[in-house]
Amino acid sequence: MTDKPTQNTADMQKMGKHFTRILLGIAVILAILELFLHRHGVAPIEDSFMFPAIFGFLAFMFIVQVGKWLRLMIMRREDYYEGGESDD
Amino acid sequence: MTSLPPGLLMILAAAALPFVPHVARQMMMLGAIALSAYGLMLGAGTHLVWDVLGFELILYRADTLSFPFAVIFHIAAALNVIYSWHDKHWSQHCAALSYAGAAIAALHAGDLITLFIWWEATAVTSVFLILAAGTPTARRAAMRYLIFQVLSGVLLLAGAAIYEANTGSIAFVAMTLGDTATWLIFIAFGIKAAFPLLNGWLQDAYPEATVTGTVALSAFTTKLAIYALARGFAGTEYLILIGAAMTALPVFFAVIENDLRRVLAFSLNNQLGFMVVAVGIGSELALNGAVAHAFVHIIYKALLFMSMGAVLHQVGTIKASELGGIYKNMPFTMICCVIGAMSISAFPLFSGFVAKSLTMTALGDTGIMWAYFVLLFASAGVLEHSGIKIPYFAFFAHDRGFETTEAPLNMRVAMGIAAFLCIAIGVFPAPLYNILPYAVDYHPYDASHVMGQMQLLIFAMLAFVVLIRMRLYPPEVPSVVLNSDWFYRRLAPQIGRPVLRAVMLVWESFLCQMRRFIGAFWFFTYKLVRSPAAGPTIPGPAALVQLILLLAVLSIGYVAALG
Repeated sequence: MTDKPTQNTADMQKMGKHFTRILLGIAVILAILELFLHRHGVAPIEDSFMFPAIFGFLAFMFIVQVGKWLRLMIMRREDYYEGGESDD
Repeated sequence: MTSLPPGLLMILAAAALPFVPHVARQMMMLGAIALSAYGLMLGAGTHLVWDVLGFELILYRADTLSFPFAVIFHIAAALNVIYSWHDKHWSQHCAALSYAGAAIAALHAGDLITLFIWWEATAVTSVFLILAAGTPTARRAAMRYLIFQVLSGVLLLAGAAIYEANTGSIAFVAMTLGDTATWLIFIAFGIKAAFPLLNGWLQDAYPEATVTGTVALSAFTTKLAIYALARGFAGTEYLILIGAAMTALPVFFAVIENDLRRVLAFSLNNQLGFMVVAVGIGSELALNGAVAHAFVHIIYKALLFMSMGAVLHQVGTIKASELGGIYKNMPFTMICCVIGAMSISAFPLFSGFVAKSLTMTALGDTGIMWAYFVLLFASAGVLEHSGIKIPYFAFFAHDRGFETTEAPLNMRVAMGIAAFLCIAIGVFPAPLYNILPYAVDYHPYDASHVMGQMQLLIFAMLAFVVLIRMRLYPPEVPSVVLNSDWFYRRLAPQIGRPVLRAVMLVWESFLCQMRRFIGAFWFFTYKLVRSPAAGPTIPGPAALVQLILLLAVLSIGYVAALG
């Protein structure tokens, strides 16, 4: 049940690299399309260059970072409730 | 047969399930669901009214709002029968079928009393799906779940009673939030819709249910509440604030949760938020958005719960800290999970996209920009926990060396149908749009909209890749995340126990004093009757008590006569 350098791990790393390349490829295509296609949003700020991309990237980073802080505040050991609750 | 309220046939069939052998039982369940669905053919109108004690109970009312919910509830019930086909014992099938039947019957309740009856029936039937897990943890969670569900029903009944006293009507129609009655009904709906701080039961109980039970649970209760809100409180502005909080807050809990079925429970809460916001907007486009979102959500959420259930069934754990590397062992389940993940993340050509677009456009039309950006932020959050975290930590991440095989055939069939529906609705949204409450003139696939959504999702995924590659993404650790259930599972007992102890101390002291007083009274009485002065006219304490009682009665009679 522990990490070990198996064939499976190597395959997953290879897949991860392919996945990253595909993502980057799509990102580049989206950036190029942004230059040629008019994209409009609900709010004026949404019309700025690559706004949804920047918003999505930063929102994701923010969520993960807040999650790290929250771990310190609201994360407890697995048997946290078990000690305080009887089975009656 | 068709004039029976839809769902009632399913409940009647559920009662017979224990006496039917396994395969015939499954066929019978599918037959009951099909017959119940056939009842929808009656179309819009009031089809069954029952006069009871001067009340006009509308048992079967159908309209354009109830119809799409009824359709998807029947589909979900059928999917659940297929998914749980391998389970040869009758008990869970009985609970699941009657639960689905009660939820469908509730959709067709035209008055608050009938709604209350089915509302409570969903609570009582569904709790067995949690109890069936058979663990002490599940048993405790089931009791907490039942308390909240019944509380919701009691509030609904109280609200209905006051509403009837105020207006002289029990009809379940659009209400204006303001007086005690409507607030009670609103809170009753809010408990089942998992409003902020009232949501603890959902994340507490759903992940404790059985593999198949969680799939059934994910479909009905909360969406019934969304239907009830749409029917009773469409356009209530509070709902925009409540819904926005529901979309954003669970995102942060889901990101640190280790139990992947609990992650999905937080995700469910987040999705309900989108629907609640749409109901709060109340425009025709927004209500179409709420209904469409509920429709597609039931399918892709069931698909995600089914895929995680399949993993739990095959591997024996659903904790992210213990899972990983099983994509080769369970490729079909993995593909279905990814389809569910892409649907919930609202990738173009998947069902979530064509539904969520309606709500976002309706919200944009209102000009409430803060809510719009909260929902946009929550969209990135959905991608984080349901789009990436679920498939990544279940099937990839780390090779844990599991030697397992694919899920049973029936599970794969159910997942395959749900995955097909996710793509079919995403590619051809017209059939879904055609059954929405209001006529739709909306085209989700314009270049601007597709490009904006793709940018949001692809760059959010790139953020994940960056965090993983730089080893900044926090590892999953065995843990429990404190949610709003902490208030009654930990804080209330900690405060309550000392208070209870003090109260019991005072009570014991009072009882002790009373015992002393009674002892002294009888001692005095004994002394009195035994004293020489009493003489032979008082034979014992019993005669004295009778004398006192007679005097008391005489006094009361005398006072009454004077009065």
